[in-house]
Amino acid sequence: MSILANKDTRVVIQGGQAGVNAARRMAEFCYLIKRPLNVEAFVYPPDAGKTNEIPYGSGLIAIPIYRSIAEATKHHPTLNTSLVYIGADRAMKGGMEALDDSHIKVVSMITEGVPEKDAKVLGAHARKLGKVFNGPSSIGIISAGACRLGVIGGAFDNLVLSKLYREGSFGVITKSGGLSNEIIWICSQFADGITTAIGIGGDAYPGTDYVSYLEMFENDPQTKAVVIVGEMGGDLEERAAEWYGAKKRRVKLIAVVSGFCQESLPKGMKFGHAGAKEGMKGEGSARSKSDALKKSGALVPPTFGALGPAIKETYQDLLKSGQVREPVEPATLPRLPKTVEEAMKADEVMVAPLIRTTISDDRGDEPCYDGYPASELINKGYEIPHVIGLLWDKRLISKQEAEIIKRIMMLSADHGPCVSGAYATILAACAGIGLSQSVAAGMIMIGPRFGGAVTDAGRFFKYAVDNKMSVDEFLAYMKKNHGPVPGIGHRVKSLRNPDKRVKELVGYVKSLKIKTPCLDFALEVEKVTSVKKDNLILNVDGTMAAVLVDIGFPVDSLNGFFILSRTIGLIGHWVDQKRQDSRLIRLFDYLVNYAAPKRREVPPLK
Amino acid sequence: MAKVLEGPGMGLMKKWGINVPNYVVVTSVDELTKLGQANEWLKNSKLVAKAHEALGSRFKLGLVKVDLDFKAAEAATKEMIGRQVGSITVTQVIVSEMIAHTEEYYCAVKSTREGSEVLIANCGGIEVESNWERVKRLCLDIGQAPSQESLEKLAKEAGFTGPLAKKMAAFAGKMFACFDSEDAQYLEVNPVVVRASDEELVALDAVTLLDGDAKFRHPDWNFAFAAEFGRAYSRQELEVMAVDSKIKGSVKFIEIPGGDTAMLPAGGGASVYYSDAVVARGGKLANYAEYSGDPPDWAVEVLTEKVCSLPGIKNIIVGGAIANFTDVKKTFGGIINGFRKAKSEGKLKNVKIWVRRGGPREKEGLDAMRALKDEGFDINVFDRNTPLTDIVDKALQVK
Repeated sequence: MSILANKDTRVVIQGGQAGVNAARRMAEFCYLIKRPLNVEAFVYPPDAGKTNEIPYGSGLIAIPIYRSIAEATKHHPTLNTSLVYIGADRAMKGGMEALDDSHIKVVSMITEGVPEKDAKVLGAHARKLGKVFNGPSSIGIISAGACRLGVIGGAFDNLVLSKLYREGSFGVITKSGGLSNEIIWICSQFADGITTAIGIGGDAYPGTDYVSYLEMFENDPQTKAVVIVGEMGGDLEERAAEWYGAKKRRVKLIAVVSGFCQESLPKGMKFGHAGAKEGMKGEGSARSKSDALKKSGALVPPTFGALGPAIKETYQDLLKSGQVREPVEPATLPRLPKTVEEAMKADEVMVAPLIRTTISDDRGDEPCYDGYPASELINKGYEIPHVIGLLWDKRLISKQEAEIIKRIMMLSADHGPCVSGAYATILAACAGIGLSQSVAAGMIMIGPRFGGAVTDAGRFFKYAVDNKMSVDEFLAYMKKNHGPVPGIGHRVKSLRNPDKRVKELVGYVKSLKIKTPCLDFALEVEKVTSVKKDNLILNVDGTMAAVLVDIGFPVDSLNGFFILSRTIGLIGHWVDQKRQDSRLIRLFDYLVNYAAPKRREVPPLK
Repeated sequence: MAKVLEGPGMGLMKKWGINVPNYVVVTSVDELTKLGQANEWLKNSKLVAKAHEALGSRFKLGLVKVDLDFKAAEAATKEMIGRQVGSITVTQVIVSEMIAHTEEYYCAVKSTREGSEVLIANCGGIEVESNWERVKRLCLDIGQAPSQESLEKLAKEAGFTGPLAKKMAAFAGKMFACFDSEDAQYLEVNPVVVRASDEELVALDAVTLLDGDAKFRHPDWNFAFAAEFGRAYSRQELEVMAVDSKIKGSVKFIEIPGGDTAMLPAGGGASVYYSDAVVARGGKLANYAEYSGDPPDWAVEVLTEKVCSLPGIKNIIVGGAIANFTDVKKTFGGIINGFRKAKSEGKLKNVKIWVRRGGPREKEGLDAMRALKDEGFDINVFDRNTPLTDIVDKALQVK
């Protein structure tokens, strides 16, 4: 047997993430004792209609979220307990809502920092209705082998170590959350473990006090002794002493009280829980509480450290008198399945990776590019072209190479609004489309006829140079196998109207003391083709391609230089249209050659 | 509980219709001089000047001056501002009207588990302390407000007669309204006096303790709460409080000058048991500290730095019970960082560190602590099998 929380307890949790975390812990306990999850519903208006997924064993259980307690109890009429995980400013309303629902008999509030007045009103309301209001600031309630409410009991391993999978003979009542676990552990090591442990919260006026719970334990035949962990301040311990001393009690009472240090501290210096405040004339001091408990007949060890032996002594007496028998431990206990991460850490499982990367790693405190930390690159004067070199070709390029790349990017960042890419972006921007989609619309235009010839140009020039072809051999090869030479020819520019960008880039690269076999070959090709036709000049794609091949970039990366550079322009166009609040545009009819058949009658459907 | 200084305390009482003397709170003489030009009463009344700080025994320290004219009040203000008393510098002075009176009474409202109590005595000042049996009380249930009749009955019980009983009842009624509406935990006026000029009851001195947790519903609480220690918070304490207000979970730190055993335990409950153990062993606490509610590691690191910076410490007690949900590995990570930082700054020389803890990821956390030995820390690490406060016994046995 147990008190407050048992096998019939069905729980609704009021609150968001903190409540979900508690539900996970509760599910671990349910799994340990081989019982279904005792949480049936959440109340959290922002997520009403959705579900929270709670791990149970190796599976997940979907628990519905409702707008109100009434809605939850309507769908789950067996609900009888509510855990409140709502912020201090709204906790009162939430607690009242739960108390006022006829299904709910026990409300336990975890919320800390609840105004005293609210806590008092909640407690009084519960007493009026004959219900239990536990908390605020309660870590929870746990009945060994039966029911866990909240995170009390800690991690799964601790549940097992503290033998919470089966009931013992000791009841526990504490103000402190952390100490509740400590006492549960001590009871399992020095005796046969607990029946129920209750965190009543460390506030000045907990909704339910020691006496109410002592009464419940007194009426629970399984509980043979109760351990109270008290604190200075208030008079709850004195009241417990009064209850214990009033008549012969079935349960034995063991109690410790903290706060003796107060006697030797500077006057007025107080610390600990909110409720740990000593009164004016020493009432509520650790000593007065401790004395009162001793006087009532309770076993009061002098220090916390002596608690274990005191519990042991009590347990031995109970054994001797035949009131309890040595517990039988189950042969096997369920083991909580490990997550993949935990299992890997323990070297218990091998996972075949899904992808493989050779360029970057962001698992540390900052990204590393090809092994180099980004901040160190910055601090040592490296720039964007170097990052391109690391991520596209896995090498630290030279200053000179970086300068070439920078110039290529600056020259191809934008080419006005009329070209396919920019025009598509502008069209999308005017239709009210967002940045990434509009830029993507422009990107889609990059292909064999617009901007996307860099890779192919580089490939063929490189092929010619690698195979030591003459210009004539190359042109013949291209004509036979591929068609027009990528990188040669321009829609507008010609020999008489040269492309300034090409001139600029070629001039700069030629001024450097580097070998440029591809560029040299491309210029030779131009000499021949431009004689055939005025506009068959080496265009900017072809120039970039030749230069980039010459400085060692892999052919497959070459289109990337145009894509990257032009993205700068496309973003600019989108922002520009947005800034102007441009209107939707459409083609004028006079810009269309309507070559479709004239309007005619539709024949009947056959 | 949050203590409120006299000025804002009087302000709250005035809000609920209680007569209080005219008063001003100033931070400089110039301010007082300007206020003197704007307020007739400052020129025309006898005045009291008091240091407006959370200080005990202000009378003895010469920080209360009575029966002043405006010039003398200016002089007193000048003298008080900037005075150093222990760790507190006087930055504010409250100058109030001296109320000519004959009789002194007592009235208080306090929160109890059952509801609240209204206390009345027909004596006041220091007389109350020595005649506590003359204080009469009215107990009220949670949610219950006192009726005028019940308060009159209480006043009569306390020895008030005739119209004065009615007045005292009305005064207590306003006190209760203020107490109830302002989320107070304790309100005390001592003395309540009969103002000679109009026979009205006036609150001369007030103790106001509010529920700091209720601040969210009192937008007009525009004042800072005073330290309850009879001293101001130190810079280190304020820094930890600033961190505490920002995080999930909590970190707490109070310095106790002269101690040699530094505390860095987890949990509001366990921390006090650790402190008790130190005192029981004859040790001297250098501080109180506590972290709980799974605080972020950086917050625990800040707390650790403060603890390591305490002067003259010989032992640091990194104690804790078996945590429910505080991640031991993570919070210990913060402590370890704090220790390393302190060591690199030349602190922690000849300081022994004692660790005991359990809870989520306890093994990993304790292993990380043990590894500090290799870095030259004098550290002793124990797990859940060592009873909670045994590390204190071990620490204080070692000579």
